[in-house]
Amino acid sequence: MKRLGLILTMLIVLGCGSYEPHDERIHMREQIRSDTIESNIVTRPIAHAFSDLAGEGLEITNAITRRNDAGLLVLHVEGYNKSYRTKRFRYRVEWLDESGFLIDTKTTVWLPMSAMGRSPFSFNVVAPRPEAVDFRMDTRKWE
Amino acid sequence: MKETILNLVMVVGFLAAGCAQETKNIDLMHDEGKPVMALDYRDFDRAASELVQSMLGSGALKKEEGGRYVVATGRIVNDTMQRIDTDQLMAKIETEMLNSGQAIMTSAVGSGADKLVHETRELRDSEEFDPNTVAKRRTLIAPELSISGKIFQRNIRYDRGRQQVEYYFQLKLSDVKSGLRFWQDEVIVGKRGSSKSVAW
Repeated sequence: MKRLGLILTMLIVLGCGSYEPHDERIHMREQIRSDTIESNIVTRPIAHAFSDLAGEGLEITNAITRRNDAGLLVLHVEGYNKSYRTKRFRYRVEWLDESGFLIDTKTTVWLPMSAMGRSPFSFNVVAPRPEAVDFRMDTRKWE
Repeated sequence: MKETILNLVMVVGFLAAGCAQETKNIDLMHDEGKPVMALDYRDFDRAASELVQSMLGSGALKKEEGGRYVVATGRIVNDTMQRIDTDQLMAKIETEMLNSGQAIMTSAVGSGADKLVHETRELRDSEEFDPNTVAKRRTLIAPELSISGKIFQRNIRYDRGRQQVEYYFQLKLSDVKSGLRFWQDEVIVGKRGSSKSVAW
């Protein structure tokens, strides 16, 4: 038993590469980059199981708007998939005018999106009317 | 014996009626129905939404000197195995282009032409109509841009029991005078399912 523990510890330490991110803008995925202590041949299945158990999923990290050259509001959404699995989802953006009234548009439909495990994701949505000043976004599981 | 058979027939009848599929209205805003191999309204909604966003976001409809572009709808080719009325896609796109405040669609020419625009001009010599109410010569505005496109389908055998169907929605916006293309984009809708499913 002690020997097995020793072998496992050695595997974890040996399986530990020296991956250090060079640039935050470049994302190197697990099994492509060098292994780390949290992600190597021994610890990987355990980490994945814990992530599933904890119910890790998507997180929105940033949502900003700006007006484009044509005077239309553009929403930029950034997020991160904390889970190890690819998460497929749908999003729907509603546009609001200055009085907070909903702008009726054919572009307000459920659009598909997916984020790979432990990876950042981002997307842009353009308001089809110049009177849009604010937005509301909803998400749901991709069936 | 006859009574027993009659009762049995009635029971079977009731059971069969109970098994009939109930008709339900689709919740068009939040439809949770399963996807189908053929193109359905959700695919058209998605394609139209993504194409409109791409077009408006590109700034191609922004006129340097201000004002709005006059746009004519050109030919939208249906190269799929399904009978598609391409207006299903174009009506949504045209509506959003109009509402964006950057373009006016013309009904004088193109696939969105209204016959009455020309028919009413034939009334100029009619004695039945007040000539002041009939459209004068040289009053129609020619389009500056034309929007045209294509929807096509590719069927691929994925494995023994499954097929992959790819639908491509392509749209382009061209300047009528110079022939230059201001914008173009493509939306792909892909479906994978049983080979037994028919995609038309």
